[in-house]
Amino acid sequence: MPMWVQILYRSIALFIVVVAVAQILGKRNLTRIPPYRFISYQVIALIAALISLNVIKEVAFGLIALGVWVLFPIALDYLSLKSKRFHDLINGKERVLIKHGKIMEEGLMQTRLTGEELLRELRSKNAFNLADVEFAVMETTGEINAFLKSGKKPVTAHDLGVKTAPQAEPQTVILDGNVLNEPLASLGLNKEWLRIQLENMGVSLDNVFLGQVDSSGDLYLDLFDDAIELPQPKVKEMIYANLEKAQASLETFALETNDKNAKAMYKKNAQKLKLLMDKLNPYLLR
Amino acid sequence: MTVASQVKQTLASLKGVQGTLRIYSTQTQDEETVSVFQEALETTSAVINDLEKRLQVLEYQEPQYKGN
Repeated sequence: MPMWVQILYRSIALFIVVVAVAQILGKRNLTRIPPYRFISYQVIALIAALISLNVIKEVAFGLIALGVWVLFPIALDYLSLKSKRFHDLINGKERVLIKHGKIMEEGLMQTRLTGEELLRELRSKNAFNLADVEFAVMETTGEINAFLKSGKKPVTAHDLGVKTAPQAEPQTVILDGNVLNEPLASLGLNKEWLRIQLENMGVSLDNVFLGQVDSSGDLYLDLFDDAIELPQPKVKEMIYANLEKAQASLETFALETNDKNAKAMYKKNAQKLKLLMDKLNPYLLR
Repeated sequence: MTVASQVKQTLASLKGVQGTLRIYSTQTQDEETVSVFQEALETTSAVINDLEKRLQVLEYQEPQYKGN
């Protein structure tokens, strides 16, 4: 066999092997892997390259080495899943770098991190001011995470005491003009429902690039033809506005009528609607 | 516009609200939201009932405007 054919065969075979190996090794984020895994990836790549270029003449030898470097990381992963002590031994422990707003110099020493590097990492977490950081830790992957002082954290709805409606993830039901049945069924809807919705909006299915249904069942569409202006769902706002109007009318009736009973009835119902509006506000307007 | 027709208008818009709320209460996935919508349906029903009763009285009082 001429050399070039040999190399061609080996390369094709190894490419398939390496793709399979990458699948086996898992889909973890490559920037956040423990060092031993990083090394094993490198060695695997190197061995594969050497076999493929015929530097390692005996394929079997190369495959043995490759097998060890593939199987050992997997074995280590399983062992560290089973035993916490083993996990700490292999991955190391996270190190506290800032505690109660004070930098732990010995933590910096142990991780061999300079002050500038720490500040850079904190800045990338949007903590430009060291005084804002309550606690920071270096994870076993080398990433630094910071916990801001309570007054410096972004405001949440909970902090403001605002009630918000629970929202589930939207489901994509139309992609590239095709109806996706599975997400549609998971919402308890069917093609007929979709057909009616599209008809109401006056759009044909093959003009829709993307359609999403949010957790309240409203359909949002993006069309191929961007010149068409679509009425985006404003139904909930309409309900709220109508309620508001009805409530105001009831108040007016209560003022206008001379009948005592009717006055009381209007007042009571106006009050009821007012309470209802307060209750529905987070669900309809946000 | 007479009082009766004004009440009728309010009644109609409330019924519209109720219908849309009913649609949402069936097509919403989240159970908490569904229960809020259902509660809203009950409240609007009660209000609609009261208004309808009042409307009967009004129509009895001013029969010449009945049906407007």
